[in-house]
Amino acid sequence: MTMGYRDDGPDLRFGRKLLSLNWGLVLLIAMTASVGFAMLYSAAGGDVQPWAIRQIIRFGGGAFLMLVIALIDIRFWMRWAYLIYAVALVLLLAVEFVGTTGMGATRWVSLGFFNLQPSEVMKIALVLALARYFHGLSLEDTGRITYLLPPLALIGMPTLLVLKQPDLGTALLLAAGGSIVLFLAGVRLWKFALALGAALAAMPIAWSQLHEYQKGRIMTFLNPESDPLGAGYHIMQSKIALGSGGISGKGFLEGTQSHLNFLPEMRTDFIFTMLAEEFGMVGGLALMGLYILILIYAYAIGFRSRHQFGRLVAVGIATTFFLYIFINIGMVTGILPVVGVPLPLISYGGTAMLTLLIGFGLILSVSIHRDVEIPRSRG
Amino acid sequence: MNRTLFDRPPGTELAQSDLQCQLPGSDITRVRRRLTMLGLAFAIGFTALSARVIHLSKPDLGSGMAAEAATVAVAPELPAKWRTRSAITDRDGQLLAVDLPTHALSIETRKVRRPDRLAWRLAEALGDTTPARVLERLEKAKGALWLRWRLTPDQVAAVMRVGDPSISLVPTVTRSYPNGRLTAHVVGFMDSERQGRAGLERGVEDRLLDPSNPPVASSINLGVQHAVRAELARAVETFSAIGGAALVMDVTNGEILSMVSLPDFDANLRESLREDAFFNRATYGRYEMGSTFKTFTAAMALEAGKRLSDSYDATDPIRFGRFRIRDHHAKKREMTVAEIFKFSSNIGAAKMAVDVGTENQRKFLGSLGLLERAAIEIPELVAPQLPYRWGELETMTIGFGHGLSVSPLHLATAIGAMVNGGNLIEPTLLKRSLDNPATLRRVISEKTSDSIRKLLRLVVADGTGRSAAAQGYVVGGKTGTAEKAIEKGYARKRLITSFVGVFPMQAPRYVVLAMLDEPQGTKQTYNYMTAGWNAAPTVGRIIRRVAPLLGVAPVDELDPEILRALALPPSADPLAKKARGGRDATL
Repeated sequence: MTMGYRDDGPDLRFGRKLLSLNWGLVLLIAMTASVGFAMLYSAAGGDVQPWAIRQIIRFGGGAFLMLVIALIDIRFWMRWAYLIYAVALVLLLAVEFVGTTGMGATRWVSLGFFNLQPSEVMKIALVLALARYFHGLSLEDTGRITYLLPPLALIGMPTLLVLKQPDLGTALLLAAGGSIVLFLAGVRLWKFALALGAALAAMPIAWSQLHEYQKGRIMTFLNPESDPLGAGYHIMQSKIALGSGGISGKGFLEGTQSHLNFLPEMRTDFIFTMLAEEFGMVGGLALMGLYILILIYAYAIGFRSRHQFGRLVAVGIATTFFLYIFINIGMVTGILPVVGVPLPLISYGGTAMLTLLIGFGLILSVSIHRDVEIPRSRG
Repeated sequence: MNRTLFDRPPGTELAQSDLQCQLPGSDITRVRRRLTMLGLAFAIGFTALSARVIHLSKPDLGSGMAAEAATVAVAPELPAKWRTRSAITDRDGQLLAVDLPTHALSIETRKVRRPDRLAWRLAEALGDTTPARVLERLEKAKGALWLRWRLTPDQVAAVMRVGDPSISLVPTVTRSYPNGRLTAHVVGFMDSERQGRAGLERGVEDRLLDPSNPPVASSINLGVQHAVRAELARAVETFSAIGGAALVMDVTNGEILSMVSLPDFDANLRESLREDAFFNRATYGRYEMGSTFKTFTAAMALEAGKRLSDSYDATDPIRFGRFRIRDHHAKKREMTVAEIFKFSSNIGAAKMAVDVGTENQRKFLGSLGLLERAAIEIPELVAPQLPYRWGELETMTIGFGHGLSVSPLHLATAIGAMVNGGNLIEPTLLKRSLDNPATLRRVISEKTSDSIRKLLRLVVADGTGRSAAAQGYVVGGKTGTAEKAIEKGYARKRLITSFVGVFPMQAPRYVVLAMLDEPQGTKQTYNYMTAGWNAAPTVGRIIRRVAPLLGVAPVDELDPEILRALALPPSADPLAKKARGGRDATL
């Protein structure tokens, strides 16, 4: 590599890197996760067992991983971006294979010591691969249709595989997250309009290809009211709990709707409801404030990056983060259909937490290495 | 603008590679514009979410104002929904749910002169609270305080005698469920806003709210319901099961005469309801039903032209990839269709199913309504869980009742079609009348239905279901034991056992289904947990109690005419005599 032209240039030493880490963002992430610990403590009726303690341990492990990833040179991640993507794709294919021999839909691959959900890994890998692709492209190239085919394939393959699992929610998240990276890279807006139009036109054809039971699943997804005691029940109870919290809430550990088990998914997808019941509107808005601050940090890091790769990675991952927040809170407040999307950093669960922290590790890495130079030309 | 973001600090030299690293001017503009647009989209998203959260957590101003207005008038009117809701009755007019007049107690706090004295007198009048508690609520309340929603007549009289000008007694109604737990899942319950939330209270809410309507008559026979619940509760307790379900259905018109799911609840005591008790195992639970499905496999084979005496080789287990299909009480020989049914052979059933073919199986089960949501007048209805892939292996497993999960209601309805001459009848929880006629659809021929009757009778007369026999009522049926599916594979000790019985077999009229969720072995069952030991005897006990209530007269089971009507051709069950050995309760 070339010699550095500034002190915080390419050959940062470990100590300096640690100092230049964006500790503000790390603190915000830890604060948000702590809100989650408190809610899990409350969900267990005021006990760290069985959920809070495990979540704390997971967060500890994940945070360590995040810092390790942050300290690794961003060019390393760029070099391996395609390979990471390829591995994630192979894992998705493996799920497809296992899913065919076993009965019922499975989204997990067992690595012996750890159950991995490849669609989660893919969310990060897709952003990395797309960022690398567009980093090597000038805006003129971005304008050419032929240069658009590889990224479309990058988005399309995992989306179709996840769709086949079937997991419509994650597939839509992947497609949306990937499209935003395309948007940021400067692909013309009329092309998005065209793609949307084509997708809408293709829908009836795709619909006729589906099996009867697959259609049924999609209909339930689109219309949860048809399942009044399942998903519809959750939404009803969720709204009641939100309303019963009022302005300032019933107080920590005092949420009746959630503690009396009216909300079966209270520690995973519906944890926001519990928060809003116990801490009221103020608590709900405060949490959203934390999220907004995190997003502003990630956004600023993207803005500050001197290289296209870092910009796309930071803002691409921030977008995925935002989509999670928006879909989860939109779902529990009844403005979006029920899809199993967790509330980032708060909901109980290992894989989602790990994926997010890895993502933040990359954003932090972009922050540390914002001024490194990466040639734009390929090779 | 953002000079510092992209511009170099003064004094640094630009290298050639640096120039490459810089974005051309138009790039920066467009990228910045895109970033701004995305940021704007985030902002709009968060604004929408915040607005929604604020909207939902706003105190409900509307109802507070209504309460305030209520105390101004002497006898305020309540909204129509509090007054006009029809009763629900059983098929003979016995009340299952009914509105009773009562009074709500409201206090206008501004008119209270001496709160401590009023609290003391009210607590004495109500008799179930303390002055301190009443005082606390009086002091917290602003404007009108609804102290109680339901008063007993005694309490109304006592509160009248308190005679304070701040007190209003507002006439209102309360929903009463005279039979409490007995009809819990049939009738369902309402929420505090008097909206139906479960059972018929929700399912037929339109009819209940129509002011001109007479009481809604359900198809339930209260006497039968009582007997069925008592016997199921006894079985759940005896076998330490975590729950159970039972159904009695009239196969000639689809009326459900009894529907019980345990654990259940008493809708009169809404405060003490537990969520797990709301779960209706009979219609909303879905289970792999195990060997009872062999009835459909046999019917399918007979429809395809097989005869009861045709045989299949059940000597060796079937290998399919990493799976093995075995018999629990293997006979290790060729078996006829009838024997496969009698001894509940998985190997035989699997081979029969493959013989008929995947597509035919799917069509046949679909025609029996086993692949779609059942349709009765309550909301708690589950859609069956189909296999992810329906290939040859799944055809085999579904042939003996694994890999396809349905509700007990699905099973009872389809079995009804097997024995009533071959017509599938839409089940109903409302009494059949000119407004609610039965719809028939032929699914198998009369000849096949006749053969199935013989097979079901054989199982109780001489097979795995002998413990379901009820002397004089000519019971037929099929046992089913399935291991519960867990994350990886099946749990060997966590079973769903079921018995679907039919009586009287010479002219089938009623299906009786009992299902136990995770029954345990007992000393009396020699620690066996399979259906023949728990679900089958439960159905036998139920039939002995409900047959007289339903007007079914006992007959002589050895009457030559009945024996002849239900006899199999000798070639179908060649070893009948030898088989009368030990009592083996298999799948």
